[in-house]
Amino acid sequence: MTTALASKKSEPGRGVSQWALAWRRLKKNKVAIAGLGVVGLFALFAAFDGWPFVLTRNDHGLFAIYPPECIPPACAGGTLSTNAPPSLSHPFGTDSYGYDVYSEIVYGTRAAFVIGLGATGFALAIAVFIGLAAGYFGGWLDNLLMRLTEVFLVIPFFLLLLVFLQIIIKFSPSATGGLWLVVFIIGAFSWPGAARIIRGEVLRVREFEYIAASRQIGASASRILFRHLFPNVLHIIIVLATLQIAASVLTEAAVSFLGFGAPNSYTWGQLMNIAASYINQAWWAITFPAVFLTLFVMGFNLLGNGLRDALDPRLRE
Amino acid sequence: MSVLKYVLRRSLYLIPVFFGITLLVFTIERLAGDPVQLYTALNPHINEAQRQALRQYLGLDQPIQNQYFTWLSELFTLNLGYSYSSGLVSTLIAEKVWATLELQLIGLALSLLIAIPIGILSARKRYSLLDVTITNSSLIGTSIPVFFLGVAFILIFGYYLHWFPSGGFQSTLPSQYPYGSLVLDLLWHLTLPSAVYALALLAPVVLLVRSSMLEVLRQDFILAARASGLSERTVIYKHALRNALIPIVTYVGLYFGGLLAGAPVTETVFNWPGIGAQFVVSTTQLDFPVIQAIVVLITLMTLIANLITDVTYAYIDPRIRLE
Amino acid sequence: MYSDPILRVEGLRTHFYTFAGVVKAVDGVGLYVNSGETLGLVGESGSGKTVTAQSIMRIVPTPGKIVEGTIEFKGKDLLGLTEAEMRQIRGKEIAYVPQDPTTTLDPVYTVGDQLTEVIMKHQHVSKRYALNKATELLRSVEIADPQIRINQYPHELSGGTKQRVAIARALSCEPSLILADEPTTALDVTIQAQILDLLKALKEKFNIAMVLITHDMGIVADTCDRVTVFYAGQVCETGTAEQVFEKPKHPYTEALLSSVPSLALRKQKLSVIPGNVPNLIQPPSGCRFHPRCSYAKQICVDKDPELESIGDGRFVHCHRWKELELKSAVAS
Repeated sequence: MTTALASKKSEPGRGVSQWALAWRRLKKNKVAIAGLGVVGLFALFAAFDGWPFVLTRNDHGLFAIYPPECIPPACAGGTLSTNAPPSLSHPFGTDSYGYDVYSEIVYGTRAAFVIGLGATGFALAIAVFIGLAAGYFGGWLDNLLMRLTEVFLVIPFFLLLLVFLQIIIKFSPSATGGLWLVVFIIGAFSWPGAARIIRGEVLRVREFEYIAASRQIGASASRILFRHLFPNVLHIIIVLATLQIAASVLTEAAVSFLGFGAPNSYTWGQLMNIAASYINQAWWAITFPAVFLTLFVMGFNLLGNGLRDALDPRLRE
Repeated sequence: MSVLKYVLRRSLYLIPVFFGITLLVFTIERLAGDPVQLYTALNPHINEAQRQALRQYLGLDQPIQNQYFTWLSELFTLNLGYSYSSGLVSTLIAEKVWATLELQLIGLALSLLIAIPIGILSARKRYSLLDVTITNSSLIGTSIPVFFLGVAFILIFGYYLHWFPSGGFQSTLPSQYPYGSLVLDLLWHLTLPSAVYALALLAPVVLLVRSSMLEVLRQDFILAARASGLSERTVIYKHALRNALIPIVTYVGLYFGGLLAGAPVTETVFNWPGIGAQFVVSTTQLDFPVIQAIVVLITLMTLIANLITDVTYAYIDPRIRLE
Repeated sequence: MYSDPILRVEGLRTHFYTFAGVVKAVDGVGLYVNSGETLGLVGESGSGKTVTAQSIMRIVPTPGKIVEGTIEFKGKDLLGLTEAEMRQIRGKEIAYVPQDPTTTLDPVYTVGDQLTEVIMKHQHVSKRYALNKATELLRSVEIADPQIRINQYPHELSGGTKQRVAIARALSCEPSLILADEPTTALDVTIQAQILDLLKALKEKFNIAMVLITHDMGIVADTCDRVTVFYAGQVCETGTAEQVFEKPKHPYTEALLSSVPSLALRKQKLSVIPGNVPNLIQPPSGCRFHPRCSYAKQICVDKDPELESIGDGRFVHCHRWKELELKSAVAS
């Protein structure tokens, strides 16, 4: 079993690399592929102004995108209509301010990716560092880091997030870096769970004979860590990353929904916050962002679960 | 070792964790700046001398370590101080904490009561249409944001169908009680929020129960139990379930902490007078004594939930008691 | 007492319906056991021995299904019984000792719990009576301090002790037949001998018939009265231990015997059967052993042989048994 893990590259004519195997297993999991498809579509949606729906830009064609802060008739012509139901000029209707819900959703998609990738990147960077250190070095360092992790895990970070954001909002309402602050805080509190799991993987992998063998031939700790341990915990990092993206976006949505969102940003949560009070008159303004949010989160969740099954080392042939 | 000794050991261990948390909370809060400054910044009628007096009154001119220890000792005597706006903090919390506990615990119980049988059913009838339906609905269910679910439920069941009140803990007038009964009124109001809570936890638990049961059912001792002629009910509920419960207990324990921290959202959506909703209000006002107290309280509740999880764990699985 | 054989299996086919295809794990197996006798089932891993035992008890795990065949126990057709009736037989008349002692006991219940639940289920007695009986059982399988052990959990016991507990559980309701699936494979060599001796002694004392599954020819020679050789889900030959070992009639048996390492053959290379274990989803045509058989002819490729009775209680599954003069590498 251990030797199977030693090489990632396929030798010519001899078997196939682990990643190719995992990809094959993933392809068989239809639900996971659906997740991947959803994520892909969202990526295109964000990158190309609402592709595949967009037909024209800054026009009044179907699925046109209005620039941010744009309310007709002040910009792009047309007439002001608040809480208007879905129609040809506003496929998802407008909200109480007169914003085109569809355009807002597109901006929301971009914000979602920023939040998801940013917070996850930050959280996982910390988690990998701590997980590897605790798992590999053990002893007092492990103890210390794990106690720290437990303290962080117990803290209701959602509550603290609200407090932080409120302070920021109150004292610099024009802060354009608002969204990045949210990203930073979410990332700063999301690492404990991942760190524990990574540490678990490190503990499991470090017992493999070839690690001991490397140590015996005198490889330095950092070499072992980077060349041997890290690639073998990579699979779990990938899974954790996809799931964390979903979780981060969901957290930000909850925060914004309560009204603590970063100023000057357009996230789905904020859309829902504005639309909540008018839910009776304009259900579309809250429902469409919610649907997109659900689909986004679901895509990453399904993909993450599928990756977890596909990359599970116990299933390695 | 016995379960009791294990419990004692784990509780001892919580103490440093608790201190760590109080320290962290205190630090974060103070990092935000001078509370008086924050609270009164936008009020033009207060001048600096008054602010200084306020600081002295609140003990904020003491060196920071003294402030921490004063706060800590006050915590232990349950003297939670005065809210900047609403009187005694302890009274405020005492009024509201029961509402939160009620919702949390009932939601949790409901969720487990429904999820476990469904998960078992799904595992026993693997690959059947029922299983596939349950699994896929649960996968979707894990992604729906709780607050949207709450809002949707209120809209559908509250506004459109008028089956349940759209929020609140209790009707304002006794004449509105269903059949004139207070108990029924409370239950009527409890239905929608606890249903949403239960649903939020349901999907991941069903999936977990199912996968855990599938793992366990593959084990040799299940085959051996069947080979001994034990009834299917005994095999599933006595042997398989108890073994499958172990990862479930861990997960529920973790998740419960998360749910607790999410109380502000659900309580705000449903206008539920608990400490979560209070937290949102107090945070908007930057009313620090209340904020601190609620954070510590919720942390404490999470710690207790973790302890209960650990204890349950040790009770279910005798192997754990050796650690 | 019933007239022999106590167990008779004929034409058994058990298939597994997996995503990869239909695995024909057992495809035409026939065997019989007389009361008080030990029948050894020998063969490589994956040859269908365990699935046969599971089929007899009808505990084949999904996606397996018994497709065809006759299984007669004490004259009763087991395949025709309802599940409830089958449960009366399992653990009470036919008992199963699974392979790996570390996983056959439920880790969250005490030894006593697991023994008494079986006793109480089949004999409708009080818990106290069952507990006493269980303690006695532990004593009879040579476990020291049974009254302490009975309240312990599986993880507190050694592998050998766990296996004794599993045997005790199998014996608890005085079955007439025990199916022991590689009872010693997972144990240290020194313990192996003890467990085998224990089984032999118990068998004699209570006159229990036993089907012993193993891939170790040495155990067969030592413990079994008769032996059935398995290959790729089918029976190759059946006979008494002496008959099969001294005068094998099937090429596979000959090859198996010659691959047993022996001190006497120290200077020679270990002989190996060429080729690989066949894919049971698409087994070879005709006789399944033909790709690896040094005596194969065209008929072996075309037609699957019958399991013929050749008198004296011997059965052979080979077209060429009459012509072949097979040598036994272990004949005394």
